[in-house]
Amino acid sequence: MNLQYTGEEIIPAERATVWKAITDPAWVGRCLPDVVDVTVHDPTHFDAVAQVGVGPVRGKFKFRFELMPGTAGDRLDMKISGGGFGSAIDLTAGADVIDAGGGTTRLKWSGQAIARGPVAAVGGRVLDAQAQKLISQTFANVRERLSTPA
Amino acid sequence: MSTGTTVKGSVGVAMKRKEDPRFIQGKGNYVDDLSFPGMLYMAIVRSPYPHAEIVNIDIAEAVKVPGVKAVITGKDLEAAGLGWLPTFHGYDKQMVLAIGKVLFQYQEVAAVFAESRGAAADGAEAVQVDYNPLPVVADPFTAKKDEVLLRNDREAKTNHIYHWEVGDKERTAQALEASDKVIKQRMWFPRCHPAPLEPCGCVAQFDTMGRLTFHVTSQAPHVYRTAITIVTGIPEDKIRVISPDLGGGFGNKVPVYPGYVCAIVGALKLGRPVKWIESRTENLTSTGFARDYHMDVEIGAKSDGTVTALKVSTTADHGAFDAAADPTKYPAGMFGIVTGSYTFPVAHAEVDAYFTNKAPGGIAYRCSFRVTEASYAIERGMDILADELGLDPVELRRKNFVKKEQFPYPSALGFTYDSGDYHHTLDVALEKIGYQALLKEQVEKRAKGELMGIGFSTFTEVVGAGPSKHFDILGIKMFDSAEIRIHPTGSGIVRAGTKSQGQGHETTWAQIVAEELGLDPQNIMVEEGDTDTAPYGLGTYASRSTPVAGAAIAMAARRIRERARKIAAHLMEVGEGDVEWKDYKFQVKGVPSKSVTMKEVAFAAYTNPGPNEPGLEATQYYDPPNMTFPHGAYIAVVDVDRETGEVKVRRFLAVDDCGTIINPMIVEGQVHGGLTEGFAIAFMQEIQYDKDGNNLNTNFTDYLVPTSLESPAWETANTVTPSPHHPIGAKGVGESPNVGSPAAFVNAVIDALSPLGVRHIDMPVTRDKVWRAIRDAEAKKDRP
Repeated sequence: MNLQYTGEEIIPAERATVWKAITDPAWVGRCLPDVVDVTVHDPTHFDAVAQVGVGPVRGKFKFRFELMPGTAGDRLDMKISGGGFGSAIDLTAGADVIDAGGGTTRLKWSGQAIARGPVAAVGGRVLDAQAQKLISQTFANVRERLSTPA
Repeated sequence: MSTGTTVKGSVGVAMKRKEDPRFIQGKGNYVDDLSFPGMLYMAIVRSPYPHAEIVNIDIAEAVKVPGVKAVITGKDLEAAGLGWLPTFHGYDKQMVLAIGKVLFQYQEVAAVFAESRGAAADGAEAVQVDYNPLPVVADPFTAKKDEVLLRNDREAKTNHIYHWEVGDKERTAQALEASDKVIKQRMWFPRCHPAPLEPCGCVAQFDTMGRLTFHVTSQAPHVYRTAITIVTGIPEDKIRVISPDLGGGFGNKVPVYPGYVCAIVGALKLGRPVKWIESRTENLTSTGFARDYHMDVEIGAKSDGTVTALKVSTTADHGAFDAAADPTKYPAGMFGIVTGSYTFPVAHAEVDAYFTNKAPGGIAYRCSFRVTEASYAIERGMDILADELGLDPVELRRKNFVKKEQFPYPSALGFTYDSGDYHHTLDVALEKIGYQALLKEQVEKRAKGELMGIGFSTFTEVVGAGPSKHFDILGIKMFDSAEIRIHPTGSGIVRAGTKSQGQGHETTWAQIVAEELGLDPQNIMVEEGDTDTAPYGLGTYASRSTPVAGAAIAMAARRIRERARKIAAHLMEVGEGDVEWKDYKFQVKGVPSKSVTMKEVAFAAYTNPGPNEPGLEATQYYDPPNMTFPHGAYIAVVDVDRETGEVKVRRFLAVDDCGTIINPMIVEGQVHGGLTEGFAIAFMQEIQYDKDGNNLNTNFTDYLVPTSLESPAWETANTVTPSPHHPIGAKGVGESPNVGSPAAFVNAVIDALSPLGVRHIDMPVTRDKVWRAIRDAEAKKDRP
């Protein structure tokens, strides 16, 4: 089952601050919703274990992340693959990191996910609602962590 | 002289099933009830991808899980020469654990052995498999293009598995061309699943001498033993296969599945018994599915309705491996029965099968190898023909039926039908259902805009595979067998090569022996499913038990009777030629008062056999001279809600002719079960895949099994036309209701919708499909 999403988020932080944060695997890992463990392997690779619940499919899913920051410092792509309990999710996502003025940054993002196995069989509406929730929680976490003084 | 007890007339008696007391008290003995000291549990890692290259399998974390003893992968098995197992179709092989790539979602990738079920499951979850997804082929029409090649292990670089055909293609084309009327219809018999309530499972254990005892959910234990030898090289004398009580099979427990091989390997490697019981999801997603035939049906006829020719071209979806479990010479099974009950002068049928990224199968789900698909095609086709000619579907059928006096009837596609009286069976059905009154009611309802339908299916089955000159599985001829021992006090034991999964063999086999020998069926024990004790047989599926093993039992009993005759002559001090078997005992010809019972003879066989061989035993292997051809007339009456599309099956009558009836109550029970399955197939069941190859029906919330609440009240009746070549005239009935009923249900719905101009709806006929058909038809009528 293919899922595609696009959107824009305004982050209340300077572009350089945002860029530094979202290219840091440990930082990104901690922004993921319901994450229970993050293991950073190198500056662009990390694993995350998250508690997932989609319809009757519930449990810990393990994901591998690969961050692919652009050399110009204005675009970040990432590949995520993983799953659990017989399900697999492959996701590619990317964001343009744009200075929005006034000390804020615009993330113009898009993502495409392919779900396979039991998680794909629960039906598009359930899966879509869950995906929307995860996306909004992720960006809420990003906003909160960047707007909170370290 | 006669003092022993004689039991007269055991065949035809509605005797209560001998096996039921243990089942209804929860005392059945199923594979999952078994437990042995030191037993390990196995869990299988399955692929979430329908088609993908396996980049790496990392078992490091899995073996650290507490309780996990070992993990094996396809590479391990390949190194041991156990990477592949032959399918029962004979022309293909199947990966035991995926090697190099996976070909369907939920395919077996690794096996984990652990001290508990929980540890095995945790270990399976910890196995890390990296996949590189490949393009998915989710239907046979895409497969046909060969743009993505699925089976690179095969020499032929195509997704096309086989082309099979029967009949006269040229003459059929000419006859269709010359016909006054030709109807054409694409019909899809969707992929469904037998879904036995007990899923598949096994326990493998080796004794200290290296002998394997393999408890397994098998409909064909002896074939399993041979297949295990073929795959593993373990000599057959070192293998004992035991199939205990089974919670249903319906064809699903005929194939040998990869999990069985893994369990045996695990038991051998670890030196401990290994149990594997699959989950409901594993059963629905990886074991043998049924049907999935896309059929293009053409029927030619004269304007008066006399049929002139039949052509059926089928595209079959076999999934990732050709595991259809058909007899070797019959890749499309008995699909040649597609001419049905009708006198087609010429016909042609062809099937082209393709690999797709779906679970393998195509097994005979309560049907004698593709007979259900064939019956559905012809029975739907006859209704469409009747509609287009403006004829009553009953009269069209009656006009074209094979007549009673035409039997044995050679069909245009090569079968010789043994016996039947189609007109009589239909007449009985029409009388019982009150057809004329229903027609009157339908006219009245249609005048009020209400949608009421009457649907028929007057099918002919072909069962009892089969004659050895034509039928084999893995080269083994499809005979069956029986061994009978009569004990000194007149009780006995019968062992057969069959294996009951709910059919009631413990009762019917006892009734046959009792009938032939004048003994009490309550004192005839039946034992099946243990290859150490039962004679070799091909097992129970395709309605073959009564036609083949039932015949072997009757003939073995008759052998005993012939031996007993000599002892009876000795007891009555007359020549053997003066003794006759009459009224269920031996008597001196012309002197009815001088007689001995079988019970008395049995005692003498061990105490006073005279000059005769002591004991009273016989073994019989039976090679049937022909198949048997049960038939039936089924009528469904439905009401369709015009606003919601909901179909209510108001009545359903099944009149079956299965030849001689051994136990009417068991026959009725079989018909009830099969009709309920047919109802489910017609209205609610489908194993669906999305275009990405995801299986969408992986549990009983998505794959519906009707309960008594959803099921209609079944009405049943029988006519009896004995098979002329079967020793007791029996034909087999277990599969008739599943074979015959789907067409009756769909024909009834289409009949209800016919005033709107609806011509066909593919199964399952769900309310949303019916609602859509009604709305589309109404929109079409509204258009100027």
